Amino acid sequence: MWVDLIITLVKIFFILGVTVAFFAPILTWVERKQSALMQDRIGANRADILGFTALGLFHIIADALKMFTKEDFIPDGANKVLHTIAPIIALVPALLTFAVVPFGGQYTLFGKEVNLVISDLDVGLLFVFAIASLATYGYVIAGWSSNNNWSLLGSMRTASQMISYEVTMGLTIIGVLMVFGTMKLTEIGAIQEDFLRWGIFLQPLGFFMFFTASIAENKRIPFDAPEAESELVAGYFTEYSGIKFGMFFMAEFIEMVTIGAIMTILFFGAWHIPFLTTATLLSWFDFLGTTGSNLVVMLIHVGVFFAKVVLFIWIQMIVRWTLPRFRYDQIMNLGWKILLPLSLANILVTGLVILALN
Amino acid sequence: MAYYVNRNIKMTWWERSYIPEILKGLLLTSRRFFYNLFGFLPFFLGTEKDRRIFTVYYPEEQVQYPIAYRGRPVLAQNEDGMPACVACGLCEIACPAYCIHIEPAEDSGKQNQYERWPEVFNIDYAICIFCGNCEEACPEEAIFMSDDCEISMLDRKKMLYTKEQLLVPVADLQKRIEFTRNMYAKWNY
Repeated sequence: MWVDLIITLVKIFFILGVTVAFFAPILTWVERKQSALMQDRIGANRADILGFTALGLFHIIADALKMFTKEDFIPDGANKVLHTIAPIIALVPALLTFAVVPFGGQYTLFGKEVNLVISDLDVGLLFVFAIASLATYGYVIAGWSSNNNWSLLGSMRTASQMISYEVTMGLTIIGVLMVFGTMKLTEIGAIQEDFLRWGIFLQPLGFFMFFTASIAENKRIPFDAPEAESELVAGYFTEYSGIKFGMFFMAEFIEMVTIGAIMTILFFGAWHIPFLTTATLLSWFDFLGTTGSNLVVMLIHVGVFFAKVVLFIWIQMIVRWTLPRFRYDQIMNLGWKILLPLSLANILVTGLVILALN
Repeated sequence: MAYYVNRNIKMTWWERSYIPEILKGLLLTSRRFFYNLFGFLPFFLGTEKDRRIFTVYYPEEQVQYPIAYRGRPVLAQNEDGMPACVACGLCEIACPAYCIHIEPAEDSGKQNQYERWPEVFNIDYAICIFCGNCEEACPEEAIFMSDDCEISMLDRKKMLYTKEQLLVPVADLQKRIEFTRNMYAKWNY
């Protein structure tokens, strides 16, 4: 029992370490540098320690210092309690989603089965959506409690956009469920050991629609109407400063990682390498004994999984720095008039194909 | 004549899906990304980078300014350590911003002795407008515009440069001397 507890704690610390301590700060740097390189600029590179700049990596530390030391400003007439808890409500769901996201398969370590997922829920996929929708409350409360017109407009746009795209997302997922026949994320991952059964081949349309909808959920550019700088100052977090602002920012970056992870699991073969089954990999490292070979394969799988996550994050970044913002009515049109019928058609076609194959 | 923009362009179904155009845009930006990513590598490895990557990694990487560039004016210093200037005051008069201050000193002017030289020669770069009139007015090839433009500082008083700070060996200025000779020969001074 103690062993289980320790294993779970290690997994939790690993996930927190990877997302909060590694991905979220690094992504701020990546976003600056990548956009700079795309636009023939240099990017932030002046923060230095003893004259050593490390390509601007120290800007992460400078940012963190700045956010922690800035004045925590609450505007007059704002609801202090809600204003304070809103960023927490926005950040926590982004982290919670990772509770059910598997980042590796099952391995036998020291005679014990280790499943690389914090909690292997039977309704994992539903849990992801339930928790992800909770973040909307954070944004809406943030906008409302600020006592600012721009914030309120931003949070209203957030709410409408989230509702519109969650429908598409949910309906797209139904296609995936029909194909894989399970809601357990670990099982969906395990099924994709076969390269030809990767989600992207079984659900090509679903892949694109899910990606579009999840970018819209994350409110990044093409779909950043809720925080449109040129229209709404900064949208729902206009009145936030210091670490509360930082929490909104971190929520966005962690959500990017979450989207990457979910995309990887549902459509991109999870932790598997194409044409290389776990059994083959294990047989390659057979000379290390059971535990040794399992350990090596586990490390390879976790590495592959996060490499795929990084790929999806990178795609999200280039999309963010390539496309202009959609107008509000265009976002609604895309959500309700194009993606929704397409996802319904996707379900229909998937069902017909499954029926025909049986 | 009024110019009308046709906003009712009939787009085909393929164009209206925007997908090919989005992909084109993504391709363009990611091409730029990789181009710049690998283009900057030679600089960090210490070699010359591709000329087409025109972004300069500024304080670390410096570009050679063209010889016609007008940076801060400097005084030419002869091989024996004296300024080439004879303190005639023409640059002082030519200066539209009145940033030059000269106090002459003189001697007997016997053989191998200097007859006149500036005892004090101050240029206040906080006032200087880098017009190059002093260089043009100088009859002795003594004051030149250098390619040094990094003279910003926090204390305004420190921007007043004295003679010792202004002197630059004449050997370092050869290119600019050649350039000014060609340049001002056109007007036959």
